[in-house]
Amino acid sequence: MATATSQQLVTVTIDGISTQVPAGTLVIEAARQLGVMVPHFCYHPKLEPDANCRMCLVEIEKFPKLQTSCSTRVADGMIVRCSGAQVEAARQSVLELILGNHPLDCPVCDQGGRCDLQDFSHEYTPTAGRFKELKRVFPKQYLGPVIETQMNRCVSCMRCVRYCDEVIDAQALAPVGRGTLTQITHWAGHELECDMCGGCIQICPVGAITSRLSMYDFRPWMLKRTDTICAYCGDGCQITVQQKNNQLIEVNSALGAGRNNGDLCVRGYFGYHASTHASRVRQPLMRQANGSLADVTWEDALEHVARQFMALRNTYGADAIGGFITARCTNEDLYLFQKFMRLVVGTNQIDSSARYGYINGVRALRRVQGTHRWTVRYEDIVQADGIMLVGTQLHATNPVTAIQVKEAVKRGGASLVTLEALLPARSTVSNITTLARHHLTVQRGRFDAAILGLLKAVCEGNLIHEEIAGQAPQFVNAIRAKVVSVAWHVIQEQSGLSQTDCEAAVRTYARAERAVLLVGQDVLRSLGGEGMVTNLLDLQMLTGHLRRQGSGLGCLAEENNEQGAVEMGAVAEYLPGPADLHDEGARAVLAQAWGDDVPTGASATLVDMVRRAKTGSIKALFIVGENPVASLPPDAQVSEALESLEFVVCQEMFLTETAKRAHVVLPACSSMEKNGTFTNTEGHVQRVRQAVETRGESRPDWEMFSALSVLMNRPVEYADAKSLLREIRGAVPGYTLLGPTSVPPRVDEETVARYVADGFKDDLDRRYALRPSSVPPAPSVIPAHAGIQLTLRLVQSLYHSGKYSTRAKGLMGIQGEGRLQINTSMARRLGIGEGDTVRLVNERGQATTSVTLSNRVPDDVAWFPEHFDQAVRVLFSSQVDTQTGVPVWKTADVMLETVRECRTEGQP
Amino acid sequence: MKTFEKILLRNMEQPGYTGSLADYERAGGYQALKTVLGGVSPADVIETVKQSGLRGRGGAGFPTGVKWSFIPKDHPGPKYLCCNADESEPGTFKDRQLMERDPHQVLEGMAIACYAIGAQTAYIYIRGEFRLGATILRRAIAEARQAGHLGTNIYGSGVTVNIHVHEGAGAYICGEETALLESLEGKRGKPRTKPPFPATHGLYQKPTVVNNVETLANVPHIVNRGGAWYAAIGVPPKSPGTRIFCLSGHVQRPGNYELPVNATFRDLIEELGGGMRSDKPLKAFIPGGASAPFLTPEHLDVQLDFESVARAGSMSGSGGVTVMEEGTNMVWVALRLMEFFYHESCGKCTPCREGSAWIVQILQRILNRQGRQDDLQTLLDICGNIGGRTVCAFGDAEIAPVQSTLKYWRSEYEALIAEADVLATSRKAIPVLSV
Repeated sequence: MATATSQQLVTVTIDGISTQVPAGTLVIEAARQLGVMVPHFCYHPKLEPDANCRMCLVEIEKFPKLQTSCSTRVADGMIVRCSGAQVEAARQSVLELILGNHPLDCPVCDQGGRCDLQDFSHEYTPTAGRFKELKRVFPKQYLGPVIETQMNRCVSCMRCVRYCDEVIDAQALAPVGRGTLTQITHWAGHELECDMCGGCIQICPVGAITSRLSMYDFRPWMLKRTDTICAYCGDGCQITVQQKNNQLIEVNSALGAGRNNGDLCVRGYFGYHASTHASRVRQPLMRQANGSLADVTWEDALEHVARQFMALRNTYGADAIGGFITARCTNEDLYLFQKFMRLVVGTNQIDSSARYGYINGVRALRRVQGTHRWTVRYEDIVQADGIMLVGTQLHATNPVTAIQVKEAVKRGGASLVTLEALLPARSTVSNITTLARHHLTVQRGRFDAAILGLLKAVCEGNLIHEEIAGQAPQFVNAIRAKVVSVAWHVIQEQSGLSQTDCEAAVRTYARAERAVLLVGQDVLRSLGGEGMVTNLLDLQMLTGHLRRQGSGLGCLAEENNEQGAVEMGAVAEYLPGPADLHDEGARAVLAQAWGDDVPTGASATLVDMVRRAKTGSIKALFIVGENPVASLPPDAQVSEALESLEFVVCQEMFLTETAKRAHVVLPACSSMEKNGTFTNTEGHVQRVRQAVETRGESRPDWEMFSALSVLMNRPVEYADAKSLLREIRGAVPGYTLLGPTSVPPRVDEETVARYVADGFKDDLDRRYALRPSSVPPAPSVIPAHAGIQLTLRLVQSLYHSGKYSTRAKGLMGIQGEGRLQINTSMARRLGIGEGDTVRLVNERGQATTSVTLSNRVPDDVAWFPEHFDQAVRVLFSSQVDTQTGVPVWKTADVMLETVRECRTEGQP
Repeated sequence: MKTFEKILLRNMEQPGYTGSLADYERAGGYQALKTVLGGVSPADVIETVKQSGLRGRGGAGFPTGVKWSFIPKDHPGPKYLCCNADESEPGTFKDRQLMERDPHQVLEGMAIACYAIGAQTAYIYIRGEFRLGATILRRAIAEARQAGHLGTNIYGSGVTVNIHVHEGAGAYICGEETALLESLEGKRGKPRTKPPFPATHGLYQKPTVVNNVETLANVPHIVNRGGAWYAAIGVPPKSPGTRIFCLSGHVQRPGNYELPVNATFRDLIEELGGGMRSDKPLKAFIPGGASAPFLTPEHLDVQLDFESVARAGSMSGSGGVTVMEEGTNMVWVALRLMEFFYHESCGKCTPCREGSAWIVQILQRILNRQGRQDDLQTLLDICGNIGGRTVCAFGDAEIAPVQSTLKYWRSEYEALIAEADVLATSRKAIPVLSV
């Protein structure tokens, strides 16, 4: 590891300057701190030293030979010389040797102009070389759809191989051949199958591994860079968007920048083309008399919308209008949307896509510990000695949070416990569960039973922390009484977890000093999600982790700004803050700031609005960037609801299934085209900056709300996104400073005290009761053609995020279609092979899809990527969580049948 | 030459000796292990080996007892012994004979070493091509387990030693101890950066001793007859004992010869090897495997011990002595050896990876009468830039043939380059504008 291992200071003299650095610091890092740059190829602060390039040789007194500064650690009194004849001769010789076989094709190399080899050659070598022999030549290789290698340029520093292994834990790249014939390639020449994080491209000091998305399209000095925040998942990675002539050329990230510290995932690195897809809505559209949508001017469109809204409000009242916004918008958009709906329209009927599950987590956190944000940060994950993941599929949903967990386990030796609905199978794509000390495969999505199992093991295994036992004996006893009454065999029947599994898992986790628990979509987006998170907080409380500094529970946001959507009050139950909708104090403060009262009408969740639309009490919907028609299954009847409305406005980038049913479509711009802020899943507010001009006539969402407010005679106007942020700062705590917050919020002791005193009682029975078992018959092969009963689950793929990413050509090149993933050995038993076609049938309908085999899918389950769910949507039905209004639809019981293709005799 | 007693080859040179367990036991085999497990403390075993002055026979000559003593005594968890049987140094073939002809001698040495360092598991990393050796060792391990010399609770002492044979896949670099460990772990065989050393962070990052076959084969004899006995042989105190020298090249009788290291190269080549194979006189010899710089006839009276050979400007290395007669083209010899090193360079470090390929190209050109006047300086520069600048000793090894042939036979290079010059003048040069 590059960082120092101790806080004890030692004195080191480098090039005549003495300094004090922590013992164990690498010489190259000590030199950097003094402003002395030691040239290097193979060294990288994220990687273990390998000392292979020999470029960083320095002279150290008392050592007979030159030493590699990247692998030598400072000792007290060490005297180092990073220049001088001997050192310079060594550097010169390394460069001479590397340049010997280098093709010197700088004029056509994508790295030309930002290449370490170019820079060092310029600085340290004479202009003429002595190598006059033949150079070895490798043909270029395509490692799959997005990565190309030019091994002639390779300096064999192995950074890519080491990054892939040490940081990503994918082990997809390897050197093949030896000596000067060494090439970096995928195993056995197969097409590259990996996390596709682009880390190998980014970490390559030369142009040996390049992106096929922008190959030969640019010279680095032509690019205009903008630092902004990735708009895919809640990790909120800082990205540097590079454009040329207003075209997106590439995205990269810099070591030391942002929460991701230089790491990215496939979506961040290769997914940037989504926003410039040709099918963008470029002009306002309005429904014509013949039923078609036609281009209109902004004036016509906005005036029409304002007129319609005012007319409907005058006729039916403000509560005839509802609003639904995507949590992919900036905080400024979200804030102004709720202000527009509340102040200008006069209704509380607003909701955002945080309703799809993230809200469950925030509600539980607020209830138990009085915060709406995590009490831990990435740094705490890395430093944790105990980490538990519950229903996260972390490597796929939040890949950069996964990198923190990987570092904690691989470098810090943390004990990882995973409760996931997948098997810990290894491949060249990372799988977080392979790093777990205890992995528990949760069956049939029964995380409720699994969590009860954990709590039961805590209560029965004497793992209750003495502090809570002393402070709140009745809380402890109430929970103990509940879990004791559930039998282990019931838990095992439902979740598949045995007593031994649960005991081993909690024993490891409870003993940790710094314990971080991350909760993912499998919990948040299921029925009773809020209760499950509350129960996990009970677990934190019982094990003493809830209040301890450096320990805490975090709910993972799947969309980039779900946390912001909640904090901006763009959800049914909260005002900005978030404060409860009926919190009089908060309403008064807001009324003062807005100069008008906050409406008193009832709020409505997405599902409420759909229902009210169908019953006719809502006449118009304002839908911003969301596509409920395609997101929710057909039986949610969103499209029927929309058809029964008098007026639907969509503010969209694309003509989605929902937008197609709108009366007016207003073209919105992407986050690459506007300024603002996003709040990531950890609760860091980060600046979004405009990287390219808006496409067509599209505008930032908030500008449209502002324009409409003027036309509706209740103007809420702002000069720019920054002045909006200024207003947000007055209404929402935690928005004063942008960027990483150094101290995460602390648990609110009063709330905790209230909760353990009697707050926990309200729904204790419901939370600690097992849902009636719906155990499908054990998977068994039913003779010929009849098929097999299994649970179909919509899952998130690493290569996509929602449906937005299906417009990114890079990501579509990697995964361009949805295929049913089933367990390899089950498929073998059924006689199904890779690429075979199968039919899925249930009482709602049937769907045909091709199959791909995976060792990660549990036996009784089939996975389908939710991004391509059009093909199988018909099979799903939605249920609504009665507590939180969260619609849940991601699992369905189906019968899988093989489709025998009719083959003519004699033909293959 | 004085008469001397053979230690390692004694058994196998007895008529009818097959290397079976019965034969080995009849010759006094496994007595040392019985003695040690009968109540000698591990520390005392290490002390005896230290006292004997035994030095590693793989090439570097590190004192064996000292190496063993580096293993942390109180380390919780496993420790390992690895027997380096990846004998791949050109001109070296002694370990092969020790394993094929008297496998139990090696196994007994390993068992004692395991006991001394507290390892329960030992691996023999054997060169992939030594299929016969691997088969024989596996059979011998099975025999020894059957007879209770290996396995759990040996002789009721509570000591466990399990030995596994692991075949390499054909890489010279895997004879380098850390590359061997990487390979044994299932990774690509590349040397590790030291420190940390295998004694603390070896196989699977656990304390590990890596010893050569011949080194381990000496251990039973040292235990049986005492450290002082061994320390008196050869050139005490620094280079005691006998060594097996692998004699090859233009001699009458090539083969493995065991002799005390106070003998000279003349003893080895002229007396045991029967002198040159023809009437051509000796021109050059490599004293210790392909990695050792060449010596000349004037070095014939140098003693075989580590220090004497080092003083003569070379190293006794692996004990592979290759003899060349007058008339041998030394540039060709250098190329032949460089081609080996080029093929075997793992590619980790830039100087070795790129330098070996470059040197080969230059030597090929010189031999093809296309040498240039500045080639010799370039060769020396490249060698200078490889030596001491790589992770492992391979870099220092590969430059030895070039540097030493240039030292003693530079005129041969110059003659070839002169021939090229003659040819070059007859070629029509393409005019190039110079600034």
